[in-house]
Amino acid sequence: MDAILKVENVTKSYTGHKALDDVSLEVPRGAVYGLLGPNGAGKTTLIRVINRITLADSGRVLLDGKPLTESDVFHIGYMPEERGLYKKMRVGEQAIFFARLKGLGRREAESRLKGWFERLSIADWWERKVEDLSKGMAQKVQFISTVVHEPKLLIFDEPFSGFDPINANLLKEEILGLRDRGATIIFSTHNMASVEEICDHITLINKSHNILSGSVEEIRRSAGGNNFEVTHRADDAELAAALGSLAIVVGESHGIVGGYRQTNIHIRRDEDVRAVIAALNDRCELRSLREMMPSMNDIFIRAVNGTL
Amino acid sequence: MKKIYLIISREFLERVRKKSFIIVTLLMPLFMIGIMVAPSLMMLYGTSDQKQVVVIDRSGRIADKLTSSAEILFVPEREMSKAEACNIYNEESGIFGVLYIGSDVEARDSVQLITNSSSSMMLEENIASQISAIVEHDKLLAYNIENLDEILSSVETHIELSTYLNDGTGEEETMESTSSGISYALGMILGMLLYMVIILYGQMVLTSVVEEKASRVIDVMVTSCSPFQLMMGKILGIAAVALTQIAIWALLIIAASKWLIPAVFSAEVTATNDAMMQALVGTLGDTGYIATLFAYVTLFILGGFLLYASLYAASGSAVDSVQDGQQFNTIIMLPIILSIIVMMSVFNDPNSPMAFWASMIPFTSPIVMIARIPFGIATWEIIVSLVALYLTFVFTTWLAAKIFRVGIFMHGKRPSWRELGQWIREK
Repeated sequence: MDAILKVENVTKSYTGHKALDDVSLEVPRGAVYGLLGPNGAGKTTLIRVINRITLADSGRVLLDGKPLTESDVFHIGYMPEERGLYKKMRVGEQAIFFARLKGLGRREAESRLKGWFERLSIADWWERKVEDLSKGMAQKVQFISTVVHEPKLLIFDEPFSGFDPINANLLKEEILGLRDRGATIIFSTHNMASVEEICDHITLINKSHNILSGSVEEIRRSAGGNNFEVTHRADDAELAAALGSLAIVVGESHGIVGGYRQTNIHIRRDEDVRAVIAALNDRCELRSLREMMPSMNDIFIRAVNGTL
Repeated sequence: MKKIYLIISREFLERVRKKSFIIVTLLMPLFMIGIMVAPSLMMLYGTSDQKQVVVIDRSGRIADKLTSSAEILFVPEREMSKAEACNIYNEESGIFGVLYIGSDVEARDSVQLITNSSSSMMLEENIASQISAIVEHDKLLAYNIENLDEILSSVETHIELSTYLNDGTGEEETMESTSSGISYALGMILGMLLYMVIILYGQMVLTSVVEEKASRVIDVMVTSCSPFQLMMGKILGIAAVALTQIAIWALLIIAASKWLIPAVFSAEVTATNDAMMQALVGTLGDTGYIATLFAYVTLFILGGFLLYASLYAASGSAVDSVQDGQQFNTIIMLPIILSIIVMMSVFNDPNSPMAFWASMIPFTSPIVMIARIPFGIATWEIIVSLVALYLTFVFTTWLAAKIFRVGIFMHGKRPSWRELGQWIREK
């Protein structure tokens, strides 16, 4: 895997508690990478370690295979959870200030920002003072300030908190757009719906540990544990006989759709899936077989409770 | 460098565009003039109603010769004893007090002022000097000199002392005329100006760092520039605000020196014999001198401000609120207050060893040196002092940057001195 960012065995303690304990992860280039975890799990600390705002006690962070330096950080786009803008400044002026601090020229900054302001339909806030904006409005401004210099690595801490569903959706679209244009995006959240929709990869952090890492697809499949829903014409006894020792029936048949019954089964071994299909096809008039994948929400709760 | 420049201009513009900046800049000179003029105005109008003083004169020589004035009215009372007078002319009577003069005026405790409310130095001075003059005059009369009053008025003398700085020629035309009165006033005003700038703008640096920490803008800032760039940007941005303000004041004063002072005073002042007034107008009207003075003031203000601002920035970074900053603030204030105390003694002897050393040691040098300069100080002393000041600034900035770099990321508990030491030693 081509990893843009690697976190290796990072440990960080504050007086009295460990915020991160031997956390490792790899962020593939071009991915939308979700950092999940309950409140206080250590997500923000990890993000601050990656940004060198907090220095890790041990372990290291690699960018493109090399230890991450201070000047690397200047090229990352970072939106902290607690939004910070200069309250007394005008919105446009402030956005230009941050863009120039990230290395854009004044004209370049202004034209790109105007474009973004149009896109997020906030063009008429340009002259307003930050202190007059609502929380959601300020967040849009902050989002634009974070992405305007088109960094190859973007880090958002809880990007969706404080947004209404419409704006949260808008933000999702923009994040996917940034990925399509080549950026790698890391964001922390406990909003599981957004994870399913936009994340390719996740890491689940609980109590300072990385308890689950991988592509969303694989995690859901493996958490699904070879549970399938079959649609067929046999009765329960015939079905059980057809399956033999390959699989067991879970619960009773349910739902009869157009003369077809639906039954949940658990296939014991991965490699038996095709044999099951063959057996059912022969003896039960198999119409469909669908893998049942748990939602990220279920996985999250089960992982945190240790029942995954 | 570009980032420091961006931060400087942001800090500068944010402050200079505020209405309060423009108002303070224009009102401050008026306020300063007010402070200087107020005491004499108070002298003029400050005294309350005429005070009535009942006079019991056992000597019989004084009461009739006391002169009443706008402040005090003497009422001779011949028939009463001291005890009776004190009894009758008590608080309710509306009388200010009783002046008792014993039969032998010059004896100890012979002249007493017994008042119903607190009296003032000016009033006591007035009474004592009147009585002394009366007694002196009586004694002179005892010599039976003819035409005594004429003689007295003819011997009255008032000498003016003109002072110059020796340039080796002894020619009044070429020597610079000096006035310790003017030097005193100038030194005082400039010293106070420095004190104000260092405290006000230094604390502005502290507040600015604390606010940035509290509003979490700092997280975005430090992922865009280095902590050193952020600190220097802030310090220099605020220094630029201070210099802009002083430059505006300087222009106002230089303009006044060039056009206003000669126009208003030249005719009248040459006519008067008041040396002090002439010297004042001479000094303020000497545009070249004023400009040089401002150049020195600017260098010392900048150096002094930078030195202290870096300390303020470091302590701002180490705390979460302005209140928590007080602990460090007190320590930073100590040398500044000390400078003001030393400055006061400078006016008695601008070349005393204490004045000399205090104007060389960087922490007190800006204020003390600027107070000495109007008295005429050798240029080498000024240069040595400036070099020491700017070298120390480089050192304190280096030290402050180390604390700043760790401090801005700390939240929660206020660090102890020991922890600050650890931060400095950290690589």
